[in-house]
Amino acid sequence: MSRGSVHRPDRRRQRRGRVNLFVLVGGLAVIVPLLVLFAVSFGNDPHEVPSVLEHTPAPQFHLQDLDGKTWDLASLRGKKVVLNFWSTWCVPCRQEHPLLQQAARLYPDVVFLGAVYSDEPAKCRAYLTREGTAYAHLVDPEGRLAIDYGVAGVPETYFIDESGVIAHKAVGPVSAPLIQSLLGPPQRSM
Amino acid sequence: MRPLLRLFAVLCAVGVATTRPAIGQDGAPAGFTADVPADDDAGQGIPGLPPGPPPPADQVDRIARDIGLGLRCPVCQGLSVADSTSSAAVMMQRRIRELVAQGYDRDDINDFFASKYGEWVLLQPRNGGLNQLVWIGPLLAFGLGLIAASSMLVRRDDDEGPDTVVSDAARRGPDGDDVEDPHLARLLSEVDDD
Repeated sequence: MSRGSVHRPDRRRQRRGRVNLFVLVGGLAVIVPLLVLFAVSFGNDPHEVPSVLEHTPAPQFHLQDLDGKTWDLASLRGKKVVLNFWSTWCVPCRQEHPLLQQAARLYPDVVFLGAVYSDEPAKCRAYLTREGTAYAHLVDPEGRLAIDYGVAGVPETYFIDESGVIAHKAVGPVSAPLIQSLLGPPQRSM
Repeated sequence: MRPLLRLFAVLCAVGVATTRPAIGQDGAPAGFTADVPADDDAGQGIPGLPPGPPPPADQVDRIARDIGLGLRCPVCQGLSVADSTSSAAVMMQRRIRELVAQGYDRDDINDFFASKYGEWVLLQPRNGGLNQLVWIGPLLAFGLGLIAASSMLVRRDDDEGPDTVVSDAARRGPDGDDVEDPHLARLLSEVDDD
């Protein structure tokens, strides 16, 4: 080969056929996290915010109910507690009300408590007189209890186990299967 | 490439190592429970001793509103606690004001609400832990892009050098003199050896 015709077409072809590590790693660094994000996020309800209080000790309270009786969570240690935040202006709360009353009767060993959320005690008393109730309802005028439990709206129901730990937080109206899955089979038949 | 991967791993490790635990082991913010027995705190709004003296009374509302602007209303779409008129936001703002009046500062109050509602309640994510990727990520991507682009340009120059036809005329340059290029001279000498 003469000096004037130094030509290396094979080398260039080899380079073109080789995988570019930069492009490969860079592409994977972008695409893989996106795929993981999509796989995890699709199907989730964007309005549902998971509670950070689940599986942690339930915030203590020392509050009076609508009848003036004082309730202390610490004194209920050893019993399962179902704490339901509700208000009279909340339609789903009114829808789940009969189910919760029925559940309170079916599970006499479980302490059911209502917690009035941003509502007037007089209205709540009138509502409960009209609709009936099988358990006590705490008055939380400053909303401190609701904030301590991270309540974002009503209804929300907290299932507290015998050791005082929040086992589950239910957002929205509870259902019979949910109650049964958390409290076990009914202790009493209707 | 390996140095870049190492850099990325180091940045991630730094981010994880500097994560500030927002929630104590008992589920309450670490700064709130140090001096108060568990049975005396939550539910009664006294989460622990405040870190300092309360601000002047005429400053409480302003400070409380300022802190409320940084917390998300849990039942609104994109509104802060201070801007919302919902009952949840009003209750939260009232609680913020109480805590400010007791001497709690912004970090304590943010920690408190994050321990109840999650980090989601903070309108401005903390600059710590994996959140640092939000700040570092764009800079990192820009740096990686620069490196990748410059690497491609260098390779292109390299490709256009030895692989092109080098005629005697071109090698001699416009004035007919030999080009003083040691790389080209070495290549030509190798060709001559062959």
